[in-house]
Amino acid sequence: MTFNLPPGLALQKVDERIMTLNVGPQHPGSGHMRIIVQIDGDYIVACDPDPGYVHRGEEKMAEYRNYITNIPHLERPVIHDSCNVLYPYVLGAEELLGIEVPERAKYVRVIASELNRCIYIMYWLAIYGIFLGHSTMFMWPAGDRELLIDLMEKMTGARVTHAHFVPGGVRNDLPPNFEDVCLRQVNYFEKRIKEYAAVFYDNPILISRTRDTGILSRQDAIRYGTTGSVLRASGVDYDLRVKEPYDVYDELDVHTNVMKEGDSYARSRIPWLDMMESCNIIRQALQKMPKSGSVRVKLKPNPKTKGLESVYKRVESGRGSLGCYIVSDAKTEPYRVKLSVPSFRNLIALPNLLKGEKLGNMPSVYWSLNYWPVEADR
Amino acid sequence: MGTATGIIRALNSGIKHIATKRFTLRYPEEKLKFVGDGYQFDPSTGVGIAGLKGRHMLFHDHCTGCQLCSIACEGVAEAIAMVKVPEEQKQNKKSIMPQIDYGKCVFCGLCVDACPFYALYMTNDYELSSFSKEGLIYTPAQLQVKPYVAQDSEIQISDRGATHG
Repeated sequence: MTFNLPPGLALQKVDERIMTLNVGPQHPGSGHMRIIVQIDGDYIVACDPDPGYVHRGEEKMAEYRNYITNIPHLERPVIHDSCNVLYPYVLGAEELLGIEVPERAKYVRVIASELNRCIYIMYWLAIYGIFLGHSTMFMWPAGDRELLIDLMEKMTGARVTHAHFVPGGVRNDLPPNFEDVCLRQVNYFEKRIKEYAAVFYDNPILISRTRDTGILSRQDAIRYGTTGSVLRASGVDYDLRVKEPYDVYDELDVHTNVMKEGDSYARSRIPWLDMMESCNIIRQALQKMPKSGSVRVKLKPNPKTKGLESVYKRVESGRGSLGCYIVSDAKTEPYRVKLSVPSFRNLIALPNLLKGEKLGNMPSVYWSLNYWPVEADR
Repeated sequence: MGTATGIIRALNSGIKHIATKRFTLRYPEEKLKFVGDGYQFDPSTGVGIAGLKGRHMLFHDHCTGCQLCSIACEGVAEAIAMVKVPEEQKQNKKSIMPQIDYGKCVFCGLCVDACPFYALYMTNDYELSSFSKEGLIYTPAQLQVKPYVAQDSEIQISDRGATHG
């Protein structure tokens, strides 16, 4: 069929209308990764996340180092969540080496892990705030994070990369008077994060920018294999601290926060609720912790595993379930270490979430997935 | 809640903070207070003593030149080299002692855990900047010096908010 266009107008093919836009890998709005976005005007037609720019070969490096010297480099993928990244590796190595961990060490680990989760979420929240143009939400979490970094510094001796967990417990005992200082600062921290509701979470500007954008349905969340806050924001009650308790989580009362909406707002609110839950867990752990006792089993300098064995352990990190698969062959070094990271699993949902969205909604949807590029590439 | 109320509440929440104290501290006039004298390790029990993992401190009279710290650092940072010490500083039979390159060190403290003779500890000294790469390499003689670290500021929590008092 042919028809005549009015003079001055010309038909344009659909392919010519669509523009390809590279967001990243040097863009501050993406981290060390690229999102190839195809846009039609202001609407996203297709999106292809392209991770892999910060691949460091952590898994291969782990094959040349013994069970103890693996610790400092395995926490590098997510340095501000370093205790949780190391946790599954340490649990797996303990099972392979046949070590029974002292009770007090387990509680110290839980406290360190929960403090680290809060530190991670605060960093994530600061970046989420500045992505949405909310500078106050960048400054406040970045400042209040210092309360917890100070606690970790007292506890482990390092501000960011702690190298605190080892097979057999933790490196050092808590400093004197730590319980009181921890309780005081955690209580103040909880009071502070409750103030974020008025300035950020109940703010109509945030709600209008994140509500009903990037909706991930419950079925899709399960089908894509997403974990952590993304899964819980889509209405699935799933938290490894409750479902598969490790260390002493079975003795603690852990509440799982679930929201049904599955949009960016729910995904940004769940980590905030998780921080309050972490404060609760820290208070419980401080109360139930044995007041004295060893925190580390004395090991031989170069521990060796028994034989050809494999173990898979997973923990709930700040981003979701983080697994570590270790194969040993009766040597001082592991034969293979495989990290199953939550960031990579959550990224799979991104192309589906962005289809049909406006380009301006891309940062809010992308960062709400709780994605950390360095961990995904490891 | 209406849009206008929400925005006013958000602004109000921020305005309240004009009256609170400043949280940040004025470095380098003020410096943070740490726990203890730095990270130490007790080889008899196998448990460390909490403290900041800063610059190392080497006790020459305890060091036997066994190289365990250097071996522990292999695969982590390879920052520790065992060097010959001059004849007048000689304390052990092999007359070798660790020399630490702080351009490579990641301050994990595994060398301290490896020392069985109470010879290597860490201190609170964290200001290690230098104008040259060579300036970051600390010889055994430099590691012997106990650093002076000013510590005056700690997080104080009051009704008006937290501050580094």
